[in-house]
Amino acid sequence: MLSAFADQCSSPVPSEVQIAALVHGFYAKVRTDAVLGPIFERTIGDWDPHLAKMRDFWSSVMRTSGRYHGNPMAAHLRLKTVRLEHFQRWLALFAMTARELFTPELAEAFIARAENIARSLQLGMFYRRGHTAAEGSA
Amino acid sequence: MTFVVTDKCIRCKYTDCVTVCPVDCFYEGKTMLVIHPDECIDCGVCVPECPAEAIVPDTDPQAAAYAELNQRFSKVWPNIATRKPAPPDAKEWDGVPDKYPGQFSEEPGDD
Repeated sequence: MLSAFADQCSSPVPSEVQIAALVHGFYAKVRTDAVLGPIFERTIGDWDPHLAKMRDFWSSVMRTSGRYHGNPMAAHLRLKTVRLEHFQRWLALFAMTARELFTPELAEAFIARAENIARSLQLGMFYRRGHTAAEGSA
Repeated sequence: MTFVVTDKCIRCKYTDCVTVCPVDCFYEGKTMLVIHPDECIDCGVCVPECPAEAIVPDTDPQAAAYAELNQRFSKVWPNIATRKPAPPDAKEWDGVPDKYPGQFSEEPGDD
């Protein structure tokens, strides 16, 4: 765990242009995905502000730019139809997009952050707030 | 998993962490900051920013003693989302071992 984290700390820093390419490429896949597409279309409504927010989010995470300020845990806790397998699909599409666009080193840096954040959101959504483990694989 | 602020923060409070945290999950006591475990999304951005190396993942052995303290005081101390100057004697306390027994305070930070 510690060595994996140390790797993240020394990982390459993407440009804002690369972040925009990832965010737009990834959500284009999400919107046409049979499983995730309908969930996001129901929730997002207006895509332009959401894409801008996601560019800010990833800029804050990968470039420590401080541009995003929000509470993604609270936003996800409101999503009552999202299940564990949706996170797996999300991560698969995200990894696919990152690997299409970037060098393996940069792609893995994005994927490692996404996996950590996804794990944290899943803990909050499925294990900490009164949901039962029956929703997961247990 | 979440990240935990340890006693290395006590009386240093550099607050570099709060400027980079995307989810504003730091809370301020009189002598140290803590992370709200239900708000932290585990992005890890704050860790390399801390000059005192006070922030560790909760899987780190150093975290065990402070995880509960972070949980408890993040619910009662005020949120801190913008950087403020470190105490004038921050550097003198940086790296001093075992600061908790003599220097920790349950008092909230100033707004």
